[in-house]
Amino acid sequence: MQCSKCGNPKVIIKKEQSGQLLCKDCFIQSIEKKVIKTIKKEKLLDKGDKVLVALSGGKDSVTTLEILNSFREMNIIDICAVTVDEGIDNYRQDGVDIAIRHAQRLGIEHKVVSLKDEFGITLDEIMQRENHKGSCTYCGVFRRTIINKTAREMGATKIATGHNLDDEVQAIMMNYLEGNTDNLTKLGAKTESKAKEFTVKIKPLREIPEREIGLYVVAKDLEVHFDSCPYAMQSFRGEVSEVINQLAEKHPTIKYSTLRGYDKVKNILKDELKKDYSHGRCVRCGEPSANELCKACSFLEELGV
Amino acid sequence: MSFILKFKDLNEEREIPNEKYSINDLLNELELSAQTIVSKQNGELVIEDTIIENGDEIQLVQIIYGG
Repeated sequence: MQCSKCGNPKVIIKKEQSGQLLCKDCFIQSIEKKVIKTIKKEKLLDKGDKVLVALSGGKDSVTTLEILNSFREMNIIDICAVTVDEGIDNYRQDGVDIAIRHAQRLGIEHKVVSLKDEFGITLDEIMQRENHKGSCTYCGVFRRTIINKTAREMGATKIATGHNLDDEVQAIMMNYLEGNTDNLTKLGAKTESKAKEFTVKIKPLREIPEREIGLYVVAKDLEVHFDSCPYAMQSFRGEVSEVINQLAEKHPTIKYSTLRGYDKVKNILKDELKKDYSHGRCVRCGEPSANELCKACSFLEELGV
Repeated sequence: MSFILKFKDLNEEREIPNEKYSINDLLNELELSAQTIVSKQNGELVIEDTIIENGDEIQLVQIIYGG
């Protein structure tokens, strides 16, 4: 058994979808090349961009930072990072510390913003309330608000997130199965909003399977926070992910074909179904909002914060 | 014939049941999916088809968590 590219007998991956065998160096190179290809194909970066990386300290965001940094080293873009501290005891601090060390290692501007400082409440405190809507509901909305605000404060022209192939395929299938055509129009490698306060979001890892990102960080000896969020429970996303992974065992190209299929119909979906939200301002915080209160503030009102 | 298994807080010596015992067999025994794990044999990344040899140190790193 040897690397399909260079003949090295120390193989670290057998790609189920292609049967290709790769050694450590060729694997690392293949991931970096593929991400760069996505960036070019989808026109994710423009020269002079300042990219804010949403850096949790997990494998996906650390890989995003690592690969985007090669564009920074070539003076094509500048990078800054933000880490959101949701306030989850015995979990989040490790990720925050790792994120700080990566930012220091690369010498990039980095902010840690906590839910407590920004909204006056932690996720742990929210979860102690009766009738809460589930941790992921609040976490997603509050994190998005913080990342958008930080992008403006730091003068970022793009926000890069670590969404991988598995995340993207799960989102496509979940929205399809739920009949959520509105959300289905919002997926993709690059999402832009008409409201200028919302910075363009890019997903450079969108075509990389989750396992390969895990293998990449271990192969490159990158320090990451491998741990499970204590609030991660059996969600609909988890169920959909399980079904897709079961199918992928017998049909190893299924995640790629789902993504390719979506990309082919994406523009038609957008033309036919995209709602044109009128963007006003949230009366409470001033952020852009389709309603009187933005989602974050409507949650805060419900929570009495 | 035995090997050392390192996985999370686990660090134990285990018997090698047969000559063709692979990391895949070990993962099946531990009810772990190869999709969520990467494996090291004596400190070097390997694929899960790798046969475990006497005296090996096998380290399993969980890279994907559910939920």
